[in-house]
Amino acid sequence: MKLRVDPERCVGHGRCYELAPRLFGEDERGHCRILRETVPPELEKLARLGQANCPEDAIIVEES
Amino acid sequence: MNDDNPCLETGVLNIIDPEYTAHPQPVNARVLEHLRVAKSIAMHTPILSRYEDVVWALRHPEIFSSEMDMKVLLGTERPMIPQQIDPPQQTRFRKILDAQFSRKRVQELEPEIRRHANELIDRIIDRGECEFDADFAVPLPCQAFLSLMGLPQEELELFLELKNGIIRPPVPPMDMEAATEWRLRTGKRIYDYFDRLIDERRAEPRDDIMTYLTQVELDGRKLGRTEILDICYLFLLGGLDTVTATLGCSMAYLAANPEQRRRIVEDPALVPGAVEELLRWETPVMLVPRVVKQEVTVGDAVLREGMLVNLLIGAANLDAEEFPDAQCVDFARERNRHLAFGAGPHRCLGSHLARMELRAALEEWHRRIPDYAIKPGETPRVSPGIREVLYLPLVWQASGRSGGAR
Repeated sequence: MKLRVDPERCVGHGRCYELAPRLFGEDERGHCRILRETVPPELEKLARLGQANCPEDAIIVEES
Repeated sequence: MNDDNPCLETGVLNIIDPEYTAHPQPVNARVLEHLRVAKSIAMHTPILSRYEDVVWALRHPEIFSSEMDMKVLLGTERPMIPQQIDPPQQTRFRKILDAQFSRKRVQELEPEIRRHANELIDRIIDRGECEFDADFAVPLPCQAFLSLMGLPQEELELFLELKNGIIRPPVPPMDMEAATEWRLRTGKRIYDYFDRLIDERRAEPRDDIMTYLTQVELDGRKLGRTEILDICYLFLLGGLDTVTATLGCSMAYLAANPEQRRRIVEDPALVPGAVEELLRWETPVMLVPRVVKQEVTVGDAVLREGMLVNLLIGAANLDAEEFPDAQCVDFARERNRHLAFGAGPHRCLGSHLARMELRAALEEWHRRIPDYAIKPGETPRVSPGIREVLYLPLVWQASGRSGGAR
């Protein structure tokens, strides 16, 4: 599984790094920074949780 | 419940009905069911209510502008920055302000906020009762604001007076002229206060936001004096009342629903989820205004250029298309993309600060006063507009041995 963020859409709600801090971090402005672009199988559920809670639909999960 | 609100024949929603602001959920559910675009009782302003419509409007400032004259309501001489300006100018200000309100930055304030919360609890815990608004919900966000701005806590009374002078001017009800005059006079005092503070921080820089505003560069130049004032005005108005209202709405809910309260007492790890779910369910800032910049059609309604439009966040947050079991308050809701902090470029600048304050407050309160109820025979009173619970009498068993500050 691959994880990406669309920086044009992210406005820094911070839901992703609150809910799944092992995969999502924050940059200087508090916008999303992907910590692991390739998601290990045991963290796939967390990746989907972060994606599902983004109010801007800014997180892209590509199932492999 | 008042079955005539909204009126289904005319599509009019009475947004100032006290019954509505006290219990908005059933009314908002009816709006969602019947009226894609309702009309406000005030000048028949169109109201968007569906999650999909509201989030779309919030994300498109080129259609739904935030630039409007709020002088009469807010006592401002100029637009507040960055709330009342549009991208791309707004984006440049957010770039320099976001870092000061990031989660990382507000975490540094958390121990101090918890200490303030505990000091407020110390004053009331042995009494076995309090009026939650005056004793807790009003002072805590103001103390947080003073900490953030690097101002002495002794300014608490002054700042509450300034805030109230704008939001609830002490004039006869319905005397709009007197209210506007009071607001403009208070607004002048707010500008003057921060004007002096700019000089003080320029002369003696410190490690605080005020100093930062005097030093930071935007497009290769320092901020002008009026720009700093327009930012500070927003900090004062945005940071105090909204958190006060959310604390009151959340505690009123928890007082009236003991089985839900017990869940967070037994498992404090549920508090962050409870904060989010209560933001969704209560949506203290229920309505936000925008001005139409390009004609656009929503359902059957044509929104013309220059029209004022209201976005009913309180209804969008109950939309079953977005929230399964939307009428069920579930602190463990797995997907909760509520819009209580807005969305798009104007996402609430203080959202991370607000979340930290709300969690700290609910955790400390329930650790020390886990069992409480609304005082028998009393009814909480909720303000129109931003839903502040102006009167929330709570009672509990006072024991004398009640855990003390950490």
